[in-house]
Amino acid sequence: MNGSNRLAGLKARPKDTTVEEVRRVDEVGEARGFLDRTPRKKPGRKPSPRTYQLHPKVFPRVGEAIAAEAERLGITQGQLIEEMWTIYEANT
Amino acid sequence: MPVIVMASPKGGVGKSTCAVLLASEFARMGADVTVLDCDPNKSLTRWASHGAPSGVTLKGDVGRSEIVPTIRSADGDGKIVIVDLEGVASQLVSRAISQADLVIVPMQPTALDAEIGSEALALVREEEEALGRSIRHAVVLTKTSAAVKSRVQKELEAQLNGAGIDVIEPSLVARAAFSELFAYGGDLTKMMRDPEMVTGGKVDKALINAQAFTEAVYERLK
Repeated sequence: MNGSNRLAGLKARPKDTTVEEVRRVDEVGEARGFLDRTPRKKPGRKPSPRTYQLHPKVFPRVGEAIAAEAERLGITQGQLIEEMWTIYEANT
Repeated sequence: MPVIVMASPKGGVGKSTCAVLLASEFARMGADVTVLDCDPNKSLTRWASHGAPSGVTLKGDVGRSEIVPTIRSADGDGKIVIVDLEGVASQLVSRAISQADLVIVPMQPTALDAEIGSEALALVREEEEALGRSIRHAVVLTKTSAAVKSRVQKELEAQLNGAGIDVIEPSLVARAAFSELFAYGGDLTKMMRDPEMVTGGKVDKALINAQAFTEAVYERLK
């Protein structure tokens, strides 16, 4: 069984692959128990990489101001502290 | 060029082995073979990671949404597409069958394999009806005994023939070399030449079996 000449005789039959055909094939399969078994993505929010916990106690007016600023910027208080730290590092 | 789909909702029947043997033998004949590994166990990807034979291209991680466009893009002049499916009843299987020129249903000669494998055969027939065209399909018995044909195998063959189901001859005999292909990669000729590859079996007989099987598949694709 050598040579590609023999293989040249092999032919593919024309197959329609319209959306309608795929839908019909899915229906036929489902009726026989051939279901969509694509693994579902894990539901819920992904765990945050921010795992380190700080325990600062500050004056109420400072805490309220930090919370309000984080809210205004649409970030978490932790992210705001990270930004403050970046500025602090850049200035020291 | 043709699309050959290995289908059975049962795992461990020899779908990946059939795919590897056909891919390597057709590539040896000079075909440009694309193998689609749709099995989450990634058997063919593991095989190819050790070195796929020249002429064989592997595409892995093909899911339900991608199967039809991937087969269509892989199909072309001078190309043979071989699809190795997962051993479950899924829409991925039904969609792949709809694109096939030949569906091969491997079965070990056991009542359980025959019962579960018949689900794939029934699905092919129902798809033929729904699509209004024929989809050629055949059963190949796998992991059969080299020495004697068991009573169960004889009965199963008689039942399949009686039901008008095409049974590929020869069956694929249980050969250590077939299993070892997944550990060493490449094809059986490479295994024969390389003394480092130890199979504990008769590679020459495995090669004769694989070639005869490929020839029988070729006859069904003409």
